Amino acid sequence: MKSTQYTEKTLEHFRNPRNVGTLEGPNVAVGRVGNPVCGDMMDIYIKVTDDDRIEDIAFQTFGCGSAVATSSMVTELVKGMPLDDALKVSRGDVADALDGLPPIKMHCSNLAADALHEAIKNWRANVKPEDATQTRVDKSCHPRPAAVVEVEIANLDDYRGNGVYTALGDLSELADQRVVVLDTGDRSAQLAIDLTEHTGRVVLMTTGKEPSVTSAVRSALRLSDVKLLTEAQPLELKGEGELERIRVHDLSEDEDYELTADALVVLE
Amino acid sequence: MPPLTTADVVYADYQAAKPVDPRVVAAMLPYFSTTFANAASLHALGDEATVALEDARARIATVFGAQPAEIVFTSGATEANNLGIIGYMQRNRRKGDHVVITEAEHISVLNIAKYLEKNGFRVSRCPIDLNGRVSLKKLRARITDDTILVSVGWASSEIGTIQPIAEIADMLSGTGVAIHTDAVAAEGLVPIDMSVVPVSLMSLSANDIYGPRGLGVLYVRKGVQVAPVMFGGGQERGLRSGTEDVAAIVGMAVAGEIMAAEMPTEVARIQAIRDRLVERVLSEIPDVHLNGAPAEEPGRRLPSNAHFRFEGVEGEAMILSLRDKGVAAATGSACSSKTLEPSHTLISCGLLHEEAHGSLEFTFGRFSTHDDVDRIMAVLPGVIARLRALSPLYEVASPA
Repeated sequence: MKSTQYTEKTLEHFRNPRNVGTLEGPNVAVGRVGNPVCGDMMDIYIKVTDDDRIEDIAFQTFGCGSAVATSSMVTELVKGMPLDDALKVSRGDVADALDGLPPIKMHCSNLAADALHEAIKNWRANVKPEDATQTRVDKSCHPRPAAVVEVEIANLDDYRGNGVYTALGDLSELADQRVVVLDTGDRSAQLAIDLTEHTGRVVLMTTGKEPSVTSAVRSALRLSDVKLLTEAQPLELKGEGELERIRVHDLSEDEDYELTADALVVLE
Repeated sequence: MPPLTTADVVYADYQAAKPVDPRVVAAMLPYFSTTFANAASLHALGDEATVALEDARARIATVFGAQPAEIVFTSGATEANNLGIIGYMQRNRRKGDHVVITEAEHISVLNIAKYLEKNGFRVSRCPIDLNGRVSLKKLRARITDDTILVSVGWASSEIGTIQPIAEIADMLSGTGVAIHTDAVAAEGLVPIDMSVVPVSLMSLSANDIYGPRGLGVLYVRKGVQVAPVMFGGGQERGLRSGTEDVAAIVGMAVAGEIMAAEMPTEVARIQAIRDRLVERVLSEIPDVHLNGAPAEEPGRRLPSNAHFRFEGVEGEAMILSLRDKGVAAATGSACSSKTLEPSHTLISCGLLHEEAHGSLEFTFGRFSTHDDVDRIMAVLPGVIARLRALSPLYEVASPA
C-alpha cells in the first residue's frame, strides 16, 4: 500500500482542515508534539471554560497529509468536550474517525491525540503556552540564553588542520564548504553570519533550545542565511583523513544521527 | 507528437517514468504477433527474430559508441546494476574484495552494496559535496590494493547532479580498478559515448529514452569479465538467461536513434523550460532554495531537473496538494517513502532532515512545454502559502 493511499475523509480534512490557527488569552494552553527532524510537528491550542470543557480549539501542523488530517479531526472530535473525556480520545479513535490510515502512517503521523493530551496536561499543570512551545522564537526579543552544555568531542584533535578550526583568519579559506560553527556565544554567531559571505552553507550548532547570544546578535542571525541547529550535541568526528561527517546527538529526541560537513569551527 | 500534458494533469515527473514515444510503439507492434518467434529457435521464424534482435543490438551499440557484443539485454536498469556490480565482484574476487560507491547512488546500487557486505565483500561510500558532486580526491583516498571496482552514477536521478565520469576514468586508468556507471538518469540528456569514456560497465534503461518499460542494458566492455547472477538457457552470451524480448529490444533501438537525432535540439528546449521554472519559483516564492548544482553551470546539472526545498512545509503535503491541482511532481520527503527515511542524497549533501522533508522535484522531458511551467506556477505559490499558513514552523523559519 502506498503511504499516500488515504481515505476520502482523510483527504477531505487535508484539503479543508478545521480549526486552523492559534488561540490567545488567559484560559489557553498548548500541547506541542513531534519534531521537524522527523517531518511532523504539531501545536494544539485549547481554550478551557470554568467547568473544564474545551470551549475552543485550534491547531498548527507541519507535516504530511495524515499529520494535517489527524490534527483537524481531533479538534473536531473534542470541541465542547469535558477535559476528562477528551483525555480518553485515543490515536485509534482519530484514525477510525478518518475511516482509517495507511498502516505506515499509524504510528508516526497520528500524533494529534498526543498533542491534545499534552495540551490538557499543560493546562492542568499551569504551563504557559510560551513555555510549552519553547523552540518558538521569542517574539519580545528578550534574550533568554540557554544553558550551554559543555561540549566534549572525543576525537576533535584528530581532525585539527583537516577540517577542524579553532581560529579563522581568512574566511575565504572556507569558500563553498559546508561549515558547522559550534555555538560558544556572540563571537561564534557573528563568525557564522560573516561566513555566509563566503559559503552558502553555514550551520550554527547549539546544545540549547536556542543559541546563547544576546538579542542584537539573535536578530542578525534571524535575518541571515545561517541555519540554526538546536538541541544538538556533537559526539564524534568522522572522515577519511579529513572531516566528512559529524555524529550528533539530538537532545530532544534522544537519538544520534550524522551530519555531513567539511569544516567544524570551535572557537577557543 | 501528442502533448503528454492533458487538460487535467501537468506531468513533471519524467525522472520516475517516461511515456513510450508513439514512433517506438509503432515499430514494436509487428514483433508481438507477426515476428514473434523465439530467437533461439532454429526454424525460419526463429531466424527472423534473430535477425531483428541482432540488428537492434547493433543499432543500440552504435547510439552509445559501443560494439554489438558489448550489449547485454536485461529486464531493466536495476537488473543491469545487479549483474554489473555483483557479477563483476564475484567473477573477479581473487583480485580483491573491495568496491567503492558514492553517497549519491540510486537506491538499487545502495542495496546491492549492502548485499555485497553481507556476502563477504567490503564497500566504501564516497561522500559528495554540497551540490551532490563526488570529489576525485576523496574517491582516490578510498581506493586500496584490494579495490577492484568503483561504481559512480553518471548523474543523480534525484537532484540531477552530473558526475565527472570522464575524469574518474582518467584518474583510474592503468590502476586495474574497473568502473561501473549507472547512466540511467543521464540517458538522452548528456552525451554518452563508450568510445570516448573508457568505463568497464554501464547500466541503461530503455524507458529513460522513451522506449518500453521492462528492458535494460548492461554494457560490458570487451575483455571485462562478469559472472551471471541468474541462470537458465544461457542467452546473452550466458550472462543473462531468459528468452529475449525482441519487441522491446527493437523498441529500444528505435528509441535510441530518435534520441540521438533529436538530442541537439531537445536538450536546449528542455533546459529552457526548466530554467524558466527555476527562475520563476525562486523569484515568485519566498524562502525557497534550489538543491543540487547551480542551473547555470553547464555540464554540472541535468537540463531536465529542478529540485527545490521550501522552508516550513513538508513534501508529501505539497505532492498531495499539487495532485489536487493537477500537477504531477515528486519529493524526497521521508513521509512519502516506504522506510520513512528522508532522501539519502539530500542528507549527504549536508541538508538537515527538516530541510530534506521540504523538497519538491520537477523533471521535464520530450513532451513538456512552456505552458506546463505557467500551469505549475498558477498553482504552486498558493499551495506553498496554504501549507505555510498551517505550519507552526514557518513563522520561526522566516519571521516576516
